[in-house]
Amino acid sequence: MTTSRRGESNTADVDWMTISIYLGLVLTGWLMIYAVGYRGEENSSLFDMGTRHGSQLVWIGVSITVGFVIMLIDGKMFRTFGYPIYIIACLFLLYVLVAGRVIAGSQSWFDLGFFRFQPSEVAKFATCLALATFLGPYNANLQTFRNRAIAIGIILLPMGLILLQGDAGSALVFSSLLIVLYREGMPPPLYILMFTMIILTVMALMFDSTFPIILGLTLVASGILVNALRTNRPKIIFFSFAVAALAVYNIYPEYELYVLGTTGLVFLILLIQKLRSKRRQLAILLTVGLVFGSGYTTVVNYAFYKVLKPHQQDRILVWLRPSKVDPLGALYNVTWSKRAIGSGGLTGKGFLDGNITKLNYVPEQVTDFIFCTVGEEQGFVGAFAIIMLFLLLLLRVLFIAERQRSKFTRIYAYGVASILFFHLLVNVGMTMGIMPVIGIPLPFISYGGSSLMAFTVLVAVLLRLDSDRLSVFR
Amino acid sequence: MQDQFQGRKYVIQGLFIVTTAILLLKAVQLQLIDTSLREQASANVIQKINKYPSRGLVYDRNEKLMVNNKAIYDLMVTYDQVKDIDTTKFCQLLGISREVFIKKLNPNFASRRYSKSKPFVFLKKISSETYARFQESLYEFPGFFVELRNVRGYAFNTGSHVLGYIGEVNEKHLKKDPYYQSGDYIGISGVEFAYEEYLRGVRGVDYVLRDNLGRIVGSYEKGERDTASVSGKDLISSLDLDLQMYGEELLQNKRGGIVAIEPSSGEILAMVSMPSYDPNLLTIGRGRGDAYTTLARDSLKPLFNRAIGAQYPPGSIFKPVMALVALQEGVTEVNRPISCRGGYIYKTLRIGCHGHPTAMNVSQAIQHSCNAYFCQIFRDVVDKNGFSRASQGLDVWTDHLYHFGLGKRLGSDVPNELTGNVPTSEDYDKMHRKGAWTSPYIVSLGIGQGELLITPLQMANISATIANKGYYYSPHLVKSFKNDTTQIPLKYRTKHFTKIDTSHFRPVIDGMEDVVLAGTARIAQIPGIKVCGKTGTAENPHGADHSVFIAFAPKDNPKIAIAVFVENGGYGSRYAGPISSLMIEKYLNGEISDARKYLEERMKNANLNK
Ligand SMILES: [Zn+2]
Repeated sequence: MTTSRRGESNTADVDWMTISIYLGLVLTGWLMIYAVGYRGEENSSLFDMGTRHGSQLVWIGVSITVGFVIMLIDGKMFRTFGYPIYIIACLFLLYVLVAGRVIAGSQSWFDLGFFRFQPSEVAKFATCLALATFLGPYNANLQTFRNRAIAIGIILLPMGLILLQGDAGSALVFSSLLIVLYREGMPPPLYILMFTMIILTVMALMFDSTFPIILGLTLVASGILVNALRTNRPKIIFFSFAVAALAVYNIYPEYELYVLGTTGLVFLILLIQKLRSKRRQLAILLTVGLVFGSGYTTVVNYAFYKVLKPHQQDRILVWLRPSKVDPLGALYNVTWSKRAIGSGGLTGKGFLDGNITKLNYVPEQVTDFIFCTVGEEQGFVGAFAIIMLFLLLLLRVLFIAERQRSKFTRIYAYGVASILFFHLLVNVGMTMGIMPVIGIPLPFISYGGSSLMAFTVLVAVLLRLDSDRLSVFR
Repeated sequence: MQDQFQGRKYVIQGLFIVTTAILLLKAVQLQLIDTSLREQASANVIQKINKYPSRGLVYDRNEKLMVNNKAIYDLMVTYDQVKDIDTTKFCQLLGISREVFIKKLNPNFASRRYSKSKPFVFLKKISSETYARFQESLYEFPGFFVELRNVRGYAFNTGSHVLGYIGEVNEKHLKKDPYYQSGDYIGISGVEFAYEEYLRGVRGVDYVLRDNLGRIVGSYEKGERDTASVSGKDLISSLDLDLQMYGEELLQNKRGGIVAIEPSSGEILAMVSMPSYDPNLLTIGRGRGDAYTTLARDSLKPLFNRAIGAQYPPGSIFKPVMALVALQEGVTEVNRPISCRGGYIYKTLRIGCHGHPTAMNVSQAIQHSCNAYFCQIFRDVVDKNGFSRASQGLDVWTDHLYHFGLGKRLGSDVPNELTGNVPTSEDYDKMHRKGAWTSPYIVSLGIGQGELLITPLQMANISATIANKGYYYSPHLVKSFKNDTTQIPLKYRTKHFTKIDTSHFRPVIDGMEDVVLAGTARIAQIPGIKVCGKTGTAENPHGADHSVFIAFAPKDNPKIAIAVFVENGGYGSRYAGPISSLMIEKYLNGEISDARKYLEERMKNANLNK
């Protein structure tokens, strides 16, 4: 079964469903960009490179052409040149770090004169390839510490370089590749730990001091200890105590030290009692967890509120504590974004009729906040359609991944799915105010040739690899 | 190899589906459930409207209004909302040209300061009259709205240096105090500057939603973020309006200053600096810039507050202090006679004196202002520890002067107070050579000349300190806050003591009384009031000497201590003495007795600026 079928014979195996979804999203994106720029009285040509919709149309053409060319390349190329491509991408990152043009506060563009591109976009594709190359071989696995470290290293290298450029948003995208590692056997406790850390971090940022968090953690830990008892009475007593402690804390915040002290004492008593009995392990685990949790949240809280500058704090506060942010300052984008989406209602104001969209109240409307236009002009129906279209695409890519006989293609496909997933979650989430505002585009829809080209390549290579699925056995 | 982790694909599928569901639920909440967003769908601007508090008023000590507020208006515009405007009518109403209109409407949008979707100032400082005309047609001009501002108005043309003025905040203010926003007004000088935090109040803010025609369609988040403005505190200044105006009248056409202090409190009753200017010239409004430039270029320096910014050798008015220091240091006695042979003579050194009977004691020395007497006792202080240890003696003298508030800022609330100069032993070590100078070198300090420099405010403070027999309060311009229990700052309620025992003041004060009764300043006598004073003539290498006088009255319960100096006025008794006595009479009696009207006329009419 190793006969290589090239050229025309591939078309039969191309995943037309993915291509349809792709085209649907790209077309929607173009219409939305046109809507943002539309001013009614103007009568400019659709292909006018001076307008955004004009230039985007050209990029759509170029991207589709590039996608088509990729379909003609021998799939073996990607298997063979995975590492070289990865190394070149990292060198690009290194280069822009040194000599990149400063745009929007971060040095992340690479200027070729006729066209500027973000090496971080290339790095996403290259990192997927590198992971696939590393874990693709039949005998490669994530069961040894060494392999786990290398796999994580492959992700961290470009991530770190992009972070150094000051582009935190694009750097965070790479964390989504942990999903790929999970699928390939990375142990779950790592993910549980990470999840816990994220929760603790968010909690630490939600309050001015970590007092309520420590109080809460102590109560929860004590509760777990009490719950392990056999009789019911202490449970009832403890429950009443917990309610009383929380009530006192809420009503008389000035007594917080006493409340925490008493709670701590209760925990200690329970702890000693546990240590005497046989279930020591639980007691020790809880103590370690409590100390770590309190310490960690305190450090994060301090670092955030005392070390970070106000404008850096604002990016997170907009997300977690909007009431602390100046509505005409940092909160401005998100407020207008939510207002635009909300004003769309069920069916929207109609194509080209979104007035908030038009008045430029939302900066970066065509790039990062394009989803607002969908929400305002097409309403919930439009938002639902876009989100479902993305879900369909994600599940289709997963389906493609799982139908491979080649581990290489599967891993690559999971990489593509993870990256698309992260972009969808963060971009759409931030326009609706449930994610922090980190400027990453909505795949296929946001304005910008560099991003569209990158996502097209990502998907096209997947389709190319997938079309070989019957001929490649590895 | 079997794919043992195949089951995990379900976890990942689940993650994707759940996340997508969360996004959809949020969309449901925003678009279908939360109707508030849709109700305000027509609103497309959240606008922050500043509510400027009215600035605290300033009264004189008898609660006569000195500084009030006048309304002016700033016209604001939001570029994106401007449409279909009759520009001809608009420009006509505001009295601006079409070019100005276009220029103002198109600031540099590339700069971060301006945005097409956020309001910016279109035209500042519109008068009430223009506003009244314009306001009726405001509805025809979508995108424009008006913010009310308070600027200062002055009921009387007086006290401009002391009251100071307000202006727009600059970059420095913005950096220093986060309270301020671009466009805010702030006290720049005088009382306005010193009591900015009391006078300014607290700015309030409303967040409103406007539709694309600029109409307010509701308040943002139900007004939960709105705050009320709090008016500034009304300040009752220590000034006596009548006395202040009278002082300015007496000093007209002359260069100089008057500082009058209530000794028992340190309150400044009057602070005059001539030449002056009309405070209304520097109130915020169109044309203020030109007025300021004109004043700044005037060769008579009307913007300069001489009362705290000019430094002179005090001359003879320093003698009472010299006497007190010598008495305290025990180097002389009250009843010590010192002969004067027409001046102070030591080897080849000669400091002249005028003809007068021999001073038999300290009082008479002050009465006759005998140079020989004070040169001698100054040397006695400096040579206290021996002729070769002049620097030790001078340090003692210097320290006493510091305690009289000389050579340092008095800590008054008049901004930009100068320190004057008290020379120290180090200064002379540098000037000559360490140990190479002795008391004869510096003997002219004993009669208030040489390197000694003091400001008129310090002169008045010396007078107040003697009147109090040994202590002073830092002179200040604030008495209290109207209808408010806020106390004036603690530093103005704290006594500063000299290092002189109270008992030493009696002979000095007697001597100062004799100056007026039978000494160099008989012209300063006021029927029925015991005035204590001391004339001085400050040497001026550039022209005629300056006329200086310090005084306080009544002797037994001083209500007013005063210092007057008149540049190029000659002897102290020529201008400064009479003006001081007229000020005292005016303050204590409310009017000038007929017998002294001629003096008043003479002072008012004297013109030294020719
Ligand atoms: Zn003499």
